[in-house]
Amino acid sequence: MTDDQRIEEFKQRIRDGHRVEAGDWMPDEYRFRVSRFIEMHANSEIMGALPERDWILRAPSLHRKLAVTAKIQDEVGHAQLLYRLVEDLGKPREQILADLIDGKSKFHNVFHYPTRSWGDVGIIAWLVDAAAVISQAALQRSSYGPYARVMRRICWEEAFHLKHGEDIVLTAVGGTPRQKALIQEALERWWEPLMMFYGPPTPAEQDKDLAWGIKSRPNEDLRQEFLGKYVKRIREIGLEIPDPALRFDEASGRWEYSPIDWEKLAQIGRGHGPASQQRLGFRRLSYEETGWVRQAVAGSVAELVA
Amino acid sequence: MEVYEVFRQEKEGEAMVHVGSVDAPDAELAVQYAREVYSRRSEATRLWVVPRAAVMELDDADFLRPPIERTYRMGEGYRVTIAKRRQLQAREAGHGA
Repeated sequence: MTDDQRIEEFKQRIRDGHRVEAGDWMPDEYRFRVSRFIEMHANSEIMGALPERDWILRAPSLHRKLAVTAKIQDEVGHAQLLYRLVEDLGKPREQILADLIDGKSKFHNVFHYPTRSWGDVGIIAWLVDAAAVISQAALQRSSYGPYARVMRRICWEEAFHLKHGEDIVLTAVGGTPRQKALIQEALERWWEPLMMFYGPPTPAEQDKDLAWGIKSRPNEDLRQEFLGKYVKRIREIGLEIPDPALRFDEASGRWEYSPIDWEKLAQIGRGHGPASQQRLGFRRLSYEETGWVRQAVAGSVAELVA
Repeated sequence: MEVYEVFRQEKEGEAMVHVGSVDAPDAELAVQYAREVYSRRSEATRLWVVPRAAVMELDDADFLRPPIERTYRMGEGYRVTIAKRRQLQAREAGHGA
């Protein structure tokens, strides 16, 4: 069998709904794409822990403090699960972490923004996590078996994050006018990043990750589902979505919204977001400061070998 | 560093199910990492932490699912009993008449 035939056979297996396992033969392009996709997801989990970390000490009650800490621990735990998959695909963890702090690999656009108030913490935990659950639910059908399985576990944990976020938002919205205003302001700051969350409406036939079955649904489908589920829930608690053009078009059965600046998203993805460099700087610092832990762990190996 | 595969039992009496892996420098830390990553919410009643090197993976279809007629091993292979029973019932009914 020639390489081309082998690749075609592999593609057909994916189209037929078969799952790929870590030890299976796979075309170089598939390995590259699935590895890069999971690496970016893992980076996002670890970078996503940073904006929330700022709020552990400032959380308004002991219960919130515990919940925020648990959520952060989950995000780092998700990164652990995902980095293991990338390692099994051939990229060592040291290299993954080095590429992240050197700005050579990407993380999700929503983690390139600062969190200005406790309102942001609520909006992120509710709506950013809600957006993430929609894409992660679709990823449970990924052609890469180990990723699909990890995603089931991650979705289960994200369900708690989302409920916790919704609780923060509902509590504040039901409070004083100032508390409600805090959430409204946060929603206005986060609406654009939320609309950018799934990326440009790339036609399915041009989306290579979709063609390889790494993703199972096109970006715009996910955005439509998010709007369908959450616009009503946001509006019915008296919050205003800052997009006058946002409306459900009965004729097409789709949500319409103001044009999105996709070039801006691309720039943010390349590390030019409002908090990109600050976050990477913090990740770098944290990596250096925890060097002694890695050394201590490596040392225990040396002692065992000696 | 060595990879350890982790299996979890979520309820007493249930099967040990593979849940993922951890990367650890030794068995002692592998156990700690496995607890932290796979039973943070007390999901496990039991964990098995196994060096990946000890796992033998078999996925050869010729070996596992050889193209051999094996319906005689399965309940489904005996559907013919329905027809046989009907025949006998008819015969018995015929005797009675």
